[in-house]
Parts: sequence; C-alpha cells; structure tokens
Amino acid sequence: MTRPTKQFDPITFQVLWSRAISIADEMATTLVKTAFSTVVRDNHDYAVAVYDAEGDMIAQANQSTPGQLFCMQRVMRDILDQYPAKTLSPGDVIIANDPWLGSGHTPDIFIATPTFRDEELVGFGVTCAHHTDIGGRMAAPDAREVYEEGIIIPISKLYDKGVPNDLLFRLIERNVRVPERILGDLRAQMAANHFGGQRIIALLEETELERLSDLTTPIVAQTEKSMREAIAKLPDGVYESDLELEREDAEGNRLIIKLRLEVRGDEIFVDYAGTSPQVDLPINSVLNMTIAYTVFSIKCALHPHIPNNKGTSLPIHVSAPEGSILHPHFPAACMFRSSLIFNVVQIIFDALSNVVPEKVMAPSGTFPLWIERFGGKYDDGTPYVCGFNGQGGQGARFDKDGVTTTVFPANVSSTSVELLEVEAPLLCDRKELIVDSGGPGRQRGGIAQEVVLRNLAKKPAVASLSGGRFHIAAPGMHGGGTGKHGAIRIGDDDPIPQPKQVLMPCETTITFTYPGGGGYGDAMERDPARVAEDVRLGLVSQEKARDAYGVALDNDGKAVDEAETARLRTRQTERN
Amino acid sequence: MAQDLPFRLGCDIGGTFTDFVLLNQETGRFEVHKTLTTPHDPSEAVEEGVVALDKTNDGFLEKTENVIHGTTLVINAIIERKGAPTAIIATKGFRDSLEMRREIRYDIYDIGAVFPTPLVERPFRREVPERLYNDGRIRQPLDEKIAAEVLDDLSAEGIESIAVCLLHAYANPAHEQALAAIAADRHPNLAVSLSSDVMPEIKEFERTSTTAVNAYVKPLLARYIKRLEERLAGRGFERGLFIMLSGGGIIAPETARQFPVRMIESGPVGGAIAAAQLGRRAGLRDVVMFDMGGTTAKSCLIRDGVMPISTEYEVDRVHRFKKGSGSPVGVPTVDIIEIGAGGGSMASIDALGLLQVGPLSAGADPGPICYGQGGTQPTVTDADLILGYLDPTYFLGGKMDLNLNETKMGITREIGEPLGFSVMQAAWGIHEVVNENMAAAIRMYVTEMGGNLKNATVIAIGGAGPVHADSFARKLGVKSLIMPRGAGVYSALGFLVAPVSYEVSRTSIISLANTDTNSLRDRFSELEDAARPVIEAAAPGADIIFNRVADICYLGQGSAVRVSMPDNLDPQTIAADFYDEYRHRYGASYDDLDVQIVTLRVTATADQEQGTISLPFSTTDHDASAALKGERMAFAPDLREMVPHKVYAMDRLPAGTNLTGPAIIEEESSTLVIARGGRAEVDPRGWIHVMLGDPNEGEI
Repeated sequence: MTRPTKQFDPITFQVLWSRAISIADEMATTLVKTAFSTVVRDNHDYAVAVYDAEGDMIAQANQSTPGQLFCMQRVMRDILDQYPAKTLSPGDVIIANDPWLGSGHTPDIFIATPTFRDEELVGFGVTCAHHTDIGGRMAAPDAREVYEEGIIIPISKLYDKGVPNDLLFRLIERNVRVPERILGDLRAQMAANHFGGQRIIALLEETELERLSDLTTPIVAQTEKSMREAIAKLPDGVYESDLELEREDAEGNRLIIKLRLEVRGDEIFVDYAGTSPQVDLPINSVLNMTIAYTVFSIKCALHPHIPNNKGTSLPIHVSAPEGSILHPHFPAACMFRSSLIFNVVQIIFDALSNVVPEKVMAPSGTFPLWIERFGGKYDDGTPYVCGFNGQGGQGARFDKDGVTTTVFPANVSSTSVELLEVEAPLLCDRKELIVDSGGPGRQRGGIAQEVVLRNLAKKPAVASLSGGRFHIAAPGMHGGGTGKHGAIRIGDDDPIPQPKQVLMPCETTITFTYPGGGGYGDAMERDPARVAEDVRLGLVSQEKARDAYGVALDNDGKAVDEAETARLRTRQTERN
Repeated sequence: MAQDLPFRLGCDIGGTFTDFVLLNQETGRFEVHKTLTTPHDPSEAVEEGVVALDKTNDGFLEKTENVIHGTTLVINAIIERKGAPTAIIATKGFRDSLEMRREIRYDIYDIGAVFPTPLVERPFRREVPERLYNDGRIRQPLDEKIAAEVLDDLSAEGIESIAVCLLHAYANPAHEQALAAIAADRHPNLAVSLSSDVMPEIKEFERTSTTAVNAYVKPLLARYIKRLEERLAGRGFERGLFIMLSGGGIIAPETARQFPVRMIESGPVGGAIAAAQLGRRAGLRDVVMFDMGGTTAKSCLIRDGVMPISTEYEVDRVHRFKKGSGSPVGVPTVDIIEIGAGGGSMASIDALGLLQVGPLSAGADPGPICYGQGGTQPTVTDADLILGYLDPTYFLGGKMDLNLNETKMGITREIGEPLGFSVMQAAWGIHEVVNENMAAAIRMYVTEMGGNLKNATVIAIGGAGPVHADSFARKLGVKSLIMPRGAGVYSALGFLVAPVSYEVSRTSIISLANTDTNSLRDRFSELEDAARPVIEAAAPGADIIFNRVADICYLGQGSAVRVSMPDNLDPQTIAADFYDEYRHRYGASYDDLDVQIVTLRVTATADQEQGTISLPFSTTDHDASAALKGERMAFAPDLREMVPHKVYAMDRLPAGTNLTGPAIIEEESSTLVIARGGRAEVDPRGWIHVMLGDPNEGEI
C-alpha cells in the first residue's frame, strides 16, 4: 500500500519514535500491574503493541515475549478483514484466540481496542496475554486435537459501542476453570489498551504528528535498512542443518526439522522443506510461530539491539511445508508448541555457527519449556489451579560460560517456592543446582537444577507434566560436550518417557531434573584454573574435571596438579 | 533548633569526593566544602573536612546540633566486592536460591548477557535441617546440633558474617532466632543477620538477596561508624550523629550498624527530601523532582509532600540502567528513577543512524569537549554551551573557562556531518534527545506508580536541571516549574531537614473478608513495637507518629497497591480505600472480587520540628534592572533559531519581579532557561516560578 509520506527532520522523527515505544511500554506496565494470571505478571508471557489506523504496527513493548510479539503483527490484519476500519465505533473491543490467526495456542487471547479522537479512528492499542486457563483438558500433554485444548474464540466483538457482548462473556465464563481470573485478566488487557489509546491521543495533540501512519513508514524503513546492512555483512551462501527431536510420531519415528538457510545479498531465505508432517501431539507450531522464532533467532545473532517491528522481518523470507509440524493444518493440537518451536533457535544457531561463531550460543537445556500445571482441592474442598516452572542451564557462548538456570529463548520468570506454597497445598522438598549438569567445553554449559514437589492435600492432585531433553541432551557446539539429560520421576519410579498428565496422591513427590546447557569449544582447551574454580564451587566434580577436561587437582582438591594435567591433556590429544 | 546550637552539618561520602554542607540555622547561610574521599578509612576525610570548615567557622562543632551522614561506602563495598567473608545458612535443599535468581533474562535479544556474581559463593552457602509451612507452623523442627556444627565450621573457616535465610521465616522467626542464639552463645564475634529481621517479606530469592547484602557489609560498616564516632568525639562532638537511610529518614548509628542494607541509597534521597519540603511549603499537590547532574538525571514524583517508597530496589547491576540486571534489595527506598542523562552524557550515532545520548558519561576526566581536558566526544554540556544556554565565561560562577571553538568542531565532526546537520541543529538534537530520554523514563515511572502529571510542578535542581527543565516539563505536559535558590547544591541541603523516621514491615497474607479490626490492630501493634525503640534511640523523649500502610491486591494478583490505613482499621473502610486507590491508578476497580492484604507496614516518625531550607535573600535592596547582566543569543526551540535572551543574575532579582521568556537566569551553581512564552515570577523566598506558555499566543 502506498500513501503520502510526511518527512520529519531526524530529531523529531527520533523523538516521536521513542514516544511511540514508550506508549507500548507503559501499556505493558499497566497490564502486568493489573493482571491476575501469574503467567502474565510473573512469567511475562504477554505482548503489547500500538497500531496505526490502517492496522500497521508502529511500536511494541520491549519486555514482550518473542513469539507473541511477532504474531501480533499479523493478527491486526485478520481483525480488520473481519471488521473493516470504517465499521468500527468508539467503545468497540475486539477479542480472538484462534491459534491459526494468533500465536499458535488457545490460552493466548488477543484484545484490540480501536482508539477514536472525536469521531475519527486514529489507531489501536493491542495486547495479548497468556491466560491461566482456557478450558479443555487443562493443558493435557497428550492432546491429539486442538478441540481438547479449550475454547476457541473467533475474531469477535467483546464490546460493541460500549455494550458488553453478554453471550460471549457467559460462554467464556462457563468454559474455563477459574473464570474470575480469566475475566480479571481480560479487564487488565482492556485497561492497558484504554491507557494506550489515551496516550495515542495525547501524542497526536501534543506533537506535530498528524497521523500515526506518517510515522509507521519511516520507522519500518529505517529498521529494515539496518537489518539489511547486518545481513549483507554475512558471506553469501547456503547453510544447512537438520535436527532429530526426541518426540515421536504415531509410528514411533523421531521427528525431524530440516533447515536450508540461504544468505543472498541483504536477504535471508529460510526453508524447512523435509521437516516431519504434523503429529497428533500438542506440539505443532503454526506458521506464525515458526516465522516468529526464525526471525527472533536471526535478530539475536545479527542485530540484537534494534527495536523490533515489521522492518526486522522484511528481509527474512520463511517457508515451511504445509501440513508439517512447522505449518500444521487445523485442527492440530498445539498447546505446547514451545517444546517444538524453540528447536528452531537451535537449528538456526547451528547453521550460523560456521559463519558467525562468535554471535551464537550452544544449545540450551532451557528448552523445551518446563511448565508444570497442578489442579486439585484443599482438604476443605477449596479448588486450586497453579503452575510451576523452573529452568535448566543455558548453552555456552563463544567467550562466556552458559548462564545458570535462566530461561531462553522464551522469557518467563520462575515460581517462588514460598508463593507456590501459599497458592497451592504443595510443598517443595528441595530446589538446588546439579553438579556436572553443564556440558563441558572451553566455555562450560549453564548449570541446571533439580526440584522436588510434594502434594500435601489428602485428595490427589492432577499434574500436567511437561519438559524434555529426556533422551537427547543439549549438544555442544564446535567441540563442546553435551549437557546433562532432563528427567521427571514420580516417587521412586523410573523417569516418564514423555510429557504426560498424572495423578499425584497425598504425600507423593515428583522430581524434576532440568537439563544442562551444551558446552562451546573443546573442553581440553579450558583454562585449568577455571576448571579448578568450578570444582571449588561444587559445579563440576573432580572426576568430571579429570575425564572431560583433562584437569587433575592436588590431593586437597584445590590447586591444579600441573604435571598430571599436562599428561592427561597430551594423552587426550594423541587419542584424537 | 536547640539553644546555642545553630549549626547542622551534612556530610556525604561519595566514591571520589566527600561533600559537606554546613548550615547556620540562625542566618540561613550555608557553606559547601569538598574533600577527597579516603578509601582506606573514610572517616579520615570526614575529620579533614571538619578541620577545614573549622577554619572559616571557628569552633562550629561545639555549636552544632546534628551531624547527618550519608555514604556510598555500602554500595561501593558491594560493587568492588570488599565486604566481609560472608556465609548463608538456608533451609536444607535451598542453599542455591541466591544463585538461581528469578531465572529470567533482562534483555530478550542479548544472548551475551551476564548476571552479577553471587555475593556469597556456593561453598559458603550451608544448610540446616528445618522446615516451616507457609503459615508459620513447624513441619520439621530445627536440628540444633547440626546448626551448631555448621556455625562452628564456618567460624573455623574464617567467616565473619552470616545471613540466615530460612523458608517462610517472615511468618515465624523462631528457627532463625534459635540459630542466632546458638551463634551468640558459641561465636559471639560472628555478625548475624536474620532474614526475619532484615526483610520479613515473602519470596525467598528477594529476601535472601537482601539479607546477604546486609550481612556482607555489616562488619565493615560497624567498624566504620565506630571510627567515625571516635573521630568526632576527639573533636569534641558527641551529640547527635545521625545516619541517612535510603527511605528518607535519619536514625541513630546503632540501627545503621544492624541494618546497613537500609543506607545503600542514602546519597540520592537528599534531593527528594528537599523537593518534598519545597512542595509542602509551596502548597503543591504533585511535584516532580528533577535533579540533573553531571552523570545522571534523577527524578521522583512527590504527592502531597510525601516521597514515594519502593521496596523493589536493585544493587550491583551489570547494566546500570537495566532493570533486572542487579540483585534485589527489598528494603524501603525512596522511589527515585535514575537514568544515564547528565551534563557529561556522551552523544553518538548508533547502528540505526540515530542520534543516541548516554548512558555513557565523559565523567569529570576527560569531561566534555568544552572543558578542554582532552574530551573528544560531544556531551550534553557541550550542546548546551553551543545553544547559548551556558555562558562560556560564567560556568560555575566564572571559575572555569569553556572552549567554544573546540566544542563546535567536535559536535560537527561527531554528530553534524553524519546526520547532515549544522552545528546548531546537531546541538539542538543532543539537547532534545536527552530531554526525551528523561521524559520517556519519567512517563514510564509515573505509569508504574499510577501517578498523574496533569497538575504537577517540576522542581528543577542540580547543575543541569534548570537548563533542561523547560523542555523536559513541556514533554511531560507539565505547565509550571520552580527553581529554588541554591538549586545546584539543593540535594545536599535535603540531608539537613530529614526527619527521624523508620519503616518496618511484615508479610501477612490476610483476606479482608476474613479479618476484623482487632486482629489488624494486634498485627500493627507488633510492628509499632518493633519500630518504637529505633525512634527512641534517635529521638529520646519525642512523641512518635505511626503511619500504617498495607500492600493490598485483589486475590490472585501479583502486584499490590500501597494503601494508607484508616484510624479505625475497619476492613470495609480499608476495602473502599483500596478501590479508590486502585481506580486512581488503573482507571477502574471491581467490587465483585476478593481483596487481600499481602504486607503490613508501619512508618514511625519522631514528632519533631524539622529545619527549613531557607536561604538568605534580600527583597528590598535591588530592582530587576540591577539584576540584568546583558543579553546573549540562545536557541529558541519553537523558532529553531538563535534569538536574543535577556540574562539576569539570580541573587540580585528582587521578590515580586515578573519576567517573560526568552530569558536566562544565572546563579553560581546553575542556570535557568525560560523559553519564549514562559512567564516567571520571583516569590518572597527567592524561588523562581515559571508558567510555561505557548509562544504563539504572544505576551499577556
């Protein structure tokens, strides 16, 4: 679409751009402060953006989660197809959570509020939030179709000229487990949008800006130009990689992601041809999410510090075969699409690791995301639903060790043990770092943790257990070693082979062993003093120091035995 | 003011300089003195300063009522890792919470990010068998035998200070207190900090982090205060030594010895205290303190003369201005936002081809280009000079000559040429971008607090504050600003008028529907009993005013709102007050949802008359024409060109003077720029009130 573009001097342009981003950031603050869902307020699983009257995104909040952030760019188009701009009125509020239009799973509800200045439509405040519950089989890890994953709301008006859509409200209320929280979060989203709308009006009244769209075009153009410059610095070429996942299709074959990444001038073409067909498991990733994490990975590696908007993705072209796990047809189940889609980050970093080895990260033990859900009743009959999440270790970087127990590539905070125990009749027996969990390497992979939870209530709890790297640990990069496997055990049983929903009787424990991050570079090249330091800190055992790093310590385990270390490392080199 | 004790001495130990302000309360005159900080023993610099001040104020210490002391010693000890050998004792299974943090990233796209190294290394994080439920009931009693062994081991390994952080200790401190008793019995020299004393609030990581910081600096601070007391006593001063806290109150040294974590941000609060007092005296409801100095700009929204208090402060940030990159310190701290936007902030062109200002600062050395000390990167001060806002011959009251040509060349080379701008446009760009950075940060901060700027007044202080205040206020939609006399050193004066005050808190998760007035009264009484001795130690005999506050939210929300408690503590009244506050902040409230109290807080304040910042000011000697120094060309933002500005000397402007922009008013420590359309009036206290106006409406 072409439209007359207004020219700003660079300073005015920059100031207006900064204000647009700050509107989105302030909306996000309002959302977090008023939200009920722990997923929003503690896990930051939300996205917030400001759109112009034509439905083009002008700015996004900085702390939004990457997947939703990108998908939001597309949702507005679909909303305007359903409700053309000229049909909208003050007091309208639009809602949708269709995974194929939005961010790929039902709990993510989008709310868009058109903003009017006098009678003229001037823009939109839009929020997306991951809600505590959306009905269905409570995030069942064995769902086969999206119908099991809760209520799907097509693009609809939640308010029409200020009048609530009573039918829709009652429908939602009747279909979710904790309706007061869901409705509370919808209110929080509307409050944030409303706030954004007021700020948009103030922006138009206080500055020389006449239409938001006058700003959209140069913002996108400038971002795109900068992204293209970053891509152009890469040598042209085709970089391929494939990745076997531990999840299996119905025939018992492991799923495969295949990547062909071509750098051509200042553009990147990503093709996932050869990737496995969609499966009857809740891990399929709609194309929106596939593109989101493809663009995210490339931005992380090439240009992490520019604002994120459509301009970032314009030079990146993504295709995935229809009907595949990266582009599934309705009604594929997709609740835990993060357990699949985060592997896209790994495979893209792998493809780029030979081109820009200093800008990528070894595979992390932090994906798939481990988000555990518990539901049940206190002894007095009061029902509860709660979540628990913790993190494994991140992959090592070119020049730094991997970060201990910190989320990547999503961005959610962990659950405080004390808060968990207030919100549910669960008790945490322990939560501690695991020695030797980080993959050995010149840079060591991030350290993971182990958590034991216990059900104190007399009634069994329903536990939806999700996690991964049970069978294929996070590999290393450029000679680095793999991190430790993940595992989930109920009581003293063997680890569960796949994520699943189980009953957790009174006083039963579940042990979550999170996976460690992969190492970067040859462990034999790691400075022996740093290995000794890891041993002193209890992060690496003396045996591992000897076996994996070729470092021997003195009898008291403190200082490096130089002679023995030299001997061990020579022997290792000769063996190679 | 006590009889024959006219002086108050404020002293603030910074990383480089130790600053003194000596105020004579009888005459209103004050004297500022600076001496180099003496890191090996910071009390030495204090004594040096006292000796130097004595030369101009013979025998003043004998006539001094109070010495009020703030210091960056605590924060520097943390940043430089110079605290005591410290250990943590945790509940069995939970020694790693300090290192695991919140498990979230502070930058979504930066895969090279790093986090602060834990203050206490893993080998010194030990565990004891014990466990409480969330309501404080005991699940597993403390194993006192193992506790004794752990303490013996740590003591033998050379540990000097211990942070005890047990799960749910906010709900029941019994196990932590038992550990303290064992430690006192077996190892009386060990410094012990209990999480149930330091920060009795829910969330184990935040509480552990705060307690560990306290323990880490406790021995160091105790030694320091002791030496300071000895040195002052050696000079004949044994009256009132007070320590400034991050929360804006002053307390007796003994309390600071116990809880040094509470004095981390004692320096920056001075400006907020001073601005709060100014706001009260001027009868202003909403005040934005705007303190722009050499390295950073600080701001604070003050409502009804009350400073906002936050418990979400962070120390030891990897990126100074990135939230989440530091370690949480959950003690009451005046909620001041600080961004990297000071006179020394450097301008450059970024990867997007955009002009960036800050957060890096040229500091004092080499400093801005105009200082002529070798700086080559343009700074905000350089831009202000080119724009005519600063007088190259009257910087710091004429104590420093500024190099105009060098500055023009630098701005042209680094900013003008890459952007295709004239030097003037480039300078204006720097000025405008730094103002926008500050305004954006303040808008965000105000949103987080649920504040409102509609009828606010900006109080412009700090060396660069009044230079930028006009444009800054306009960006916030604020219509009026005030520049007080002594603006450049105003924050130092705040120290001298701080009240004796102390906040205590405790997490008490209570459903408002299931509680009553008596139960709430009992819980608040416990807190008041805890705060009373702290105030009595600092202000013996004074009446104590208790201000009760609760953090309240809807059941299930994670973010609570501070609500002042009604005197009757009636749950229904409390609920109604919460709805009001919630509506004020977020635009709507809901009476169909359950309401819960999360944390109770009591601020105890000694009911004493505070000093007043009242600087000498003659209202009769001069007329405005005597104050007119001349005219100089300076940049008019609305016209985008240089226009003549009348220049006045602030100390010669009589009360009642009315001026219109464009004008510049200079005093030794700062310069006020009034844009076209602005109307200024000098009030009887010598403060300049500016009403910002639309330049196109013409003179009224």
